[in-house]
Amino acid sequence: MAGRQGRSARLLDLRPGWKAFVNPWLLRIANNPERLAFIMHRVTGVIASLFLFLHIISTNVPAREGWEAWREEVMNLQGLTLTSILFYIAMGAILFHGLNGTRLILAEALALGIGRPEKPKPPYIAPLLRGFQRTLLYATFVLWIILWALLGYVMFFT
Amino acid sequence: MAIFDARAAVMIPPRKVKFLIRRYNPEEGRSWWQEYEVETYRGMTVLDALLKIKEEIDHTLVLRYSCRMAVCGSCGMIINGTPRLACQTQVAEVASEARPVVKVEPMYNFKVIRDLVVDFTEFFEKHRRVKPYLIRRDVEERENPKYEYRLLPEEYESFYQYSLCIACGLCVSACPVFASDRRFLGPQALAQAYRFIIDPRDEGWAERLEIVDSEDGVFGCHLAASCSAVCPKEVDPGAAIQRLRSLLLRYRLGLWKKKISGPVGPLEKKAERKPLPPEAETLPGVSLEELEESEVEIPVDELIAG
Ligand code: SF4
Ligand code: FES
Repeated sequence: MAGRQGRSARLLDLRPGWKAFVNPWLLRIANNPERLAFIMHRVTGVIASLFLFLHIISTNVPAREGWEAWREEVMNLQGLTLTSILFYIAMGAILFHGLNGTRLILAEALALGIGRPEKPKPPYIAPLLRGFQRTLLYATFVLWIILWALLGYVMFFT
Repeated sequence: MAIFDARAAVMIPPRKVKFLIRRYNPEEGRSWWQEYEVETYRGMTVLDALLKIKEEIDHTLVLRYSCRMAVCGSCGMIINGTPRLACQTQVAEVASEARPVVKVEPMYNFKVIRDLVVDFTEFFEKHRRVKPYLIRRDVEERENPKYEYRLLPEEYESFYQYSLCIACGLCVSACPVFASDRRFLGPQALAQAYRFIIDPRDEGWAERLEIVDSEDGVFGCHLAASCSAVCPKEVDPGAAIQRLRSLLLRYRLGLWKKKISGPVGPLEKKAERKPLPPEAETLPGVSLEELEESEVEIPVDELIAG
């Protein structure tokens, strides 16, 4: 960029712009649900770690302030609709993260379900996108929606 | 590469197409969208259209291209939000009668030099870092080779696909990990590292494994698979990275051993040229022996005059 000079300019140039950060959302790539799964994995990962953080803090209350305080706090929180909705969202995030994580471990660490190298031939779809991991990905989405809906039923309607 | 549509080559694009081009002027530090209207013809590629704009409407438009047939890898751009080669993309593929607009931007994840031209220094630097060439320990043998190295067809097939890379940078521009981590080696370099690591003729695999064994190397990848979806040569860098990672893990656990092949050595039996069987003839009445002896005459002067 013109105008900036010296070391700070070089540092700024090395940093991707704001546009690059949202690049995963801006690009439109055909035949690529893995990218959607990647974005969801990130988002659910953040939600899951936030939940874990709050969970550890809240389970630490009895040690700090005794069981009475803890029971009171839990009773107060449990009555709120907002708490159960947040809890429901956190559970959904953890569910997706776990299911998708299984597929990722299989593909990334064990190289399972990623097709085999071949001589390219029409219609030129990369083996990775035709491999078993794609089936697992669809299964992840379906299972996730079913399990999350079931959890919602149990939590809110029984 | 799923996005290549062969039918588009015979489709007729809308007669007039609006091109929205992202421009950047480094002297003024200014970037803006500019609009051009182009008259199309059947079989027009986006590159053709850009060149037409440059020749007939606006000479200041800057772009990089060379072969015009998806071989050199110079013309990567973001076309209607998808990273593609401009020379491999038909206008009819990306513009329709309902929406005769084509948006062209320089590739993401690269520094823009001017208009549609991006800086490949970092990209080639990373490619160079994984040592993309065969390394042999025996210098004497390497300098004065007597025989070729052995390579079985199935070994060849295991990396042939990855050797098709034309270094166009599309995979890097599509990579969401690269977008937030500039030190990441990127799909192109990692795929090339894998291609040379499993080549049985190569002996530099250990150095390369050390280079890719880091957060910025093979463990940076999170399998968004966009690289494999946009690659114009069906290199499948995504699968190469997963194979490389599992190979690295097996290697660290002592479960992987590199197979190395050497020179083939002299052939056991010397091959001889077999004489032609007497019945070998091309057409009835034409004898091969006569043909071999007769001189070939090409009437050059006549051809030029005619
Ligand atoms: S792997 Fe494919 S997309 Fe990436 S640089 Fe090579 S040819 Fe281009
Ligand atoms: S001009 Fe060579 S790849 Fe497009």
